[in-house]
Amino acid sequence: MKRNLFTLSVGLLLFLIFGLLLFVFQVRKSEVAVVTTFGKPTRPIAEPGPYFKWPWPIQKVYKFDQRIQNFEDRLTEGLTKDHFTLLTSVYVGWKIADPAAFFPKFAGSLNPIAYAESKLDERLGNLKSAIVSKHALSEFVTTSENSTGFLAIEREMLEASQAQIATNNWGLEVKFLGIKKLQLPEGVSKTVFDRMQAERKVLADASTYEGEKEAAKIHSEADRNAAVMLSEAESQATQIRAEGEAKAAKSLAIFEQNPVLANFFFQLDALKDALKDHATLIFDANTSPFGLLHGLSTNLLNGLSANPPKK
Amino acid sequence: MDDLPLTPKPLPGPAPAETPVDAGAQALAEALRSSFVIIKLVMLVLVAVFLASGFFTVGAQQQAIILRFGRPVAQGQQALLGPGLHWSFPYPIDEPVIVSISGLQQVQSSVGWYATTREDEMAGTEPKIPFGTPINPVVDGYALSADANIVHVRATLTYHISDPIQYIFEFANASNAVQNALDNSLLYAASRFKIDDLLARDILGFKDAVQRRVTELIDKRQLGVTVEECVVRSKPPRQLQEDFEKVIGAELHRSKVIADARGYEIQTTNAAGAEASSRVKFAESERARFVDDVSSRAKQFEELLPKYNLNPSLFAQQRLAETLGRVMTNVQDKIFLPERPQELRLLLNRPPAKPMTEANQ
Repeated sequence: MKRNLFTLSVGLLLFLIFGLLLFVFQVRKSEVAVVTTFGKPTRPIAEPGPYFKWPWPIQKVYKFDQRIQNFEDRLTEGLTKDHFTLLTSVYVGWKIADPAAFFPKFAGSLNPIAYAESKLDERLGNLKSAIVSKHALSEFVTTSENSTGFLAIEREMLEASQAQIATNNWGLEVKFLGIKKLQLPEGVSKTVFDRMQAERKVLADASTYEGEKEAAKIHSEADRNAAVMLSEAESQATQIRAEGEAKAAKSLAIFEQNPVLANFFFQLDALKDALKDHATLIFDANTSPFGLLHGLSTNLLNGLSANPPKK
Repeated sequence: MDDLPLTPKPLPGPAPAETPVDAGAQALAEALRSSFVIIKLVMLVLVAVFLASGFFTVGAQQQAIILRFGRPVAQGQQALLGPGLHWSFPYPIDEPVIVSISGLQQVQSSVGWYATTREDEMAGTEPKIPFGTPINPVVDGYALSADANIVHVRATLTYHISDPIQYIFEFANASNAVQNALDNSLLYAASRFKIDDLLARDILGFKDAVQRRVTELIDKRQLGVTVEECVVRSKPPRQLQEDFEKVIGAELHRSKVIADARGYEIQTTNAAGAEASSRVKFAESERARFVDDVSSRAKQFEELLPKYNLNPSLFAQQRLAETLGRVMTNVQDKIFLPERPQELRLLLNRPPAKPMTEANQ
């Protein structure tokens, strides 16, 4: 009996396994599925989990990747509001949102995802040029972020594509959109290069000029500062000397006791200073005390005012 | 399995009851018995095969996520199984998904740079493009700067996958989605910066703008990755390389000229400062000397005045003679003219007489 029970349970298990394999299928988190009954879509499945189906050939399961797909469209030309030709390419993150709507349109194709993307590409081309024509080039590229800048244009494209896809009812959903390329036609690039070259020249010249101007300014400033420092020092020196003279003037009172004698001393000092070194003295017999050499006067002591010697 | 040899046990019972003559029936019973055994064996093998089909291996650089009825069995990093042998329930209950997402991932922007090979770039043997060559947007990528100039930009983003479930099950090609976000961020950031800021003046600001934008996009789109690092490069168009170099040259020249001027400034100011302080010092010493001099003379005068008053004339004569005597010893050349000469010629070759002017005062 025990043996039979074992055999029975093994048999049951096998039966269950075969049953599972035949009647149950799994839809992954990353998938959506459509079940067809005799070729006709009867049941769309958007949620992951195990599902029941009748075995082939009654029912058949079509599974699609429902993850967000990356799609990059062709580089297309558009004319901006200010008549620049602009080449744009965008990338789109899209996914299958409604398998029931998606299935009849695209399931017949060998590669439904690629087919859906080719359809998207067609729509995006027109849509982009329509939006580009509403904006000036300066709105695409600008240092200031405003309501009509790069991001706003992207948002506009996203909304337009979402609206378009919703109208077509393909079961698709555009999750996000971004500009991937923003370029100028080959012919225009040359004009841009010419302009850029001219700009470079202006910049180089400006640098050279500015450098020289700045250097000259620094030079004259330095010279001026130096002159100011010297003149300040000079005036300080003059003041110091004046202080000295003021101080010395106090001693003047002493000399006033006998101005004649003071003057005599001053003259003597001046004479000493004048003939300090390397002097050549030419004198004649009238000069005291060389009168002695001539054996001339013995009455030398009469005059104080001897002729001052010449240099 | 032990039971198997025993299974035929009930059969030997009835067998002797039958007539031994019926050899055919006996053979049939034998055959049935053995096929029964075979069927049971097959059944067991099938069950074993079914269960064993749940084994799977994860390679060294790989990880696996088990889906139970389509949903991951765990969340976040816990859902990841490392390399080795694993078991899950066979389909359609469980389903392992093997992925290669370990470690740091890296993507490079696919727009904004001219067509080149890695070898050429590494070796620095990229061909020079002469000025005037137009740029073909299909071949060479570039971005437009805020002042509508053409500039080459490139970014490399390093990231790790923080939410593998999101990364794998929400995006058909998540690394591609990251790359798109990076391309977009690069283009957007370039459109906000003037070419000179982007190339030289504000390189860090530009890098930050790219990184900020790409991080924002990644978070907004829930790509399940965390940005580790973003490296950005930018370069002027090759057609204009020389012109851009000239500007850099001019800027360097400007810096040099200014630096030279600053050097001159320092030198001049220092020299003037030294000169000024020496003038002041000199004046101070002069003052001291002068004051000392005058006061010492005054002192001398005071001392000598009484002597003078005794006999002014004699005193004067004595002083004069003494002074002349001292002066004469100092004089280098002394020429005495005994008589009035008709003509006197002197060859004077005197050194510059510096103290004369001051002494003469």
